[in-house]
Amino acid sequence: MIVDGFKEALQLLVSLDSEIIQIIALSLGISLLATVTAGFFATLFGILISITTFPFKNLVKKLIFTFMGIPPVVLGLFVLLLLIGPLSHLNLVFTKTAMYIAQTLLVFPIVAGNIIISSEKTQQNILETATTLGASKSDKIWLIVKETKPFILLSLMLGFSRAISEVGAVMLVGGNIRGETRVITTFIALNTNMGNYASSIAMGIILLGLAFIIHSFIASFKGGLYD
Amino acid sequence: MIKIDNLSVCFSNIVINYPNKTFKKNKATFITGRNGVGKTTLLKSLARLLKYEGSIAYQGVATYLSQEPTLFNRSVYENIVYPLRIRQCNLDLYNPEIFTYAKMLELDHLLYQNAKTLSSGEKMKTAFLRSIIFSPDLVLLDEPTTHLDIESIEQITQLIQTLKKTMTFLIISHNKSFLSALKDDEYYLGGSHVQRKND
Repeated sequence: MIVDGFKEALQLLVSLDSEIIQIIALSLGISLLATVTAGFFATLFGILISITTFPFKNLVKKLIFTFMGIPPVVLGLFVLLLLIGPLSHLNLVFTKTAMYIAQTLLVFPIVAGNIIISSEKTQQNILETATTLGASKSDKIWLIVKETKPFILLSLMLGFSRAISEVGAVMLVGGNIRGETRVITTFIALNTNMGNYASSIAMGIILLGLAFIIHSFIASFKGGLYD
Repeated sequence: MIKIDNLSVCFSNIVINYPNKTFKKNKATFITGRNGVGKTTLLKSLARLLKYEGSIAYQGVATYLSQEPTLFNRSVYENIVYPLRIRQCNLDLYNPEIFTYAKMLELDHLLYQNAKTLSSGEKMKTAFLRSIIFSPDLVLLDEPTTHLDIESIEQITQLIQTLKKTMTFLIISHNKSFLSALKDDEYYLGGSHVQRKND
């Protein structure tokens, strides 16, 4: 069956089936966009949390760490309830935008949590040095961004992996509509339920291949993970 | 002049009440005393890196150099000019001074090497230059000779002698030759000012 899956994966890629290409493009597009959006804000947020002292800081950190492990289906349910409730006038249910929102919310705590951990544990000396050299808060944020680049890249990679591999949230808020909101993971879930294991394996192999390419791309940045 | 008055620093189970003192401007004062009497804590308090009670009074900018300095992941030159860059200074005006000091400390051939690849002594000399290049008024040095060889200690001593004309130095050091070559004044901490809650 696995061999069949490999054969079908090759056939799917070689055939350049428009539906398959559209599914792959949508998966990549939404996951990358969600990772970039959440990554930008979560990096700033994480660094600010780690260099600032304020009341209930530990509570905020605990909440972030808790949301790092939130089941995607629970987050999807939360977003869906928002979209059919207070935000129903936006008509976003079962749209790509809803999937983007859900994935962004899913990635945010993963990136922020990892940034907080790495900044607090490894960058205390850098902060002290920057303070004594007269650095302002914005100087310190920029310095930590530069000095923690490998950790930031690792956090982005974890965030992207979470986004592209999750199925619960995009299924709930996107609806798995063929030609509209179907992505690789929901395609796999649907085909497995229908007994089309070879198609599921094929898409699984494509998903792994994509994750490897994106991982290699992020890791190739100078000063990154393998320097 | 730098004045400490009723200065007190509190940790979880230790309270350090420093004897009042006025440090002379443009002099090198050595903070001496045994391990655990609060020498580093005093320097960190003066650099406003720790919370304290009482009064610390001085005019201008202070900088603190740890005995295990942290260098940034960039070239030696970029490390040295970091305080100038964040102050948006024109580096062309400072380059002659940087190259002179780098040559004095035998760092000139390492200027464009990544600072993370330096030896401990070279790191200390780089961090020292970074601390003084923006002309702070008060320089707080915590065991600056720890990783230095005899020649390097002499180079740093010579440089501090020159810089004393415009800067005030408070130095923690157990190196007797360094101390005798530079000492203008001494602030001895005997230990009776340290109170432990379980005492």
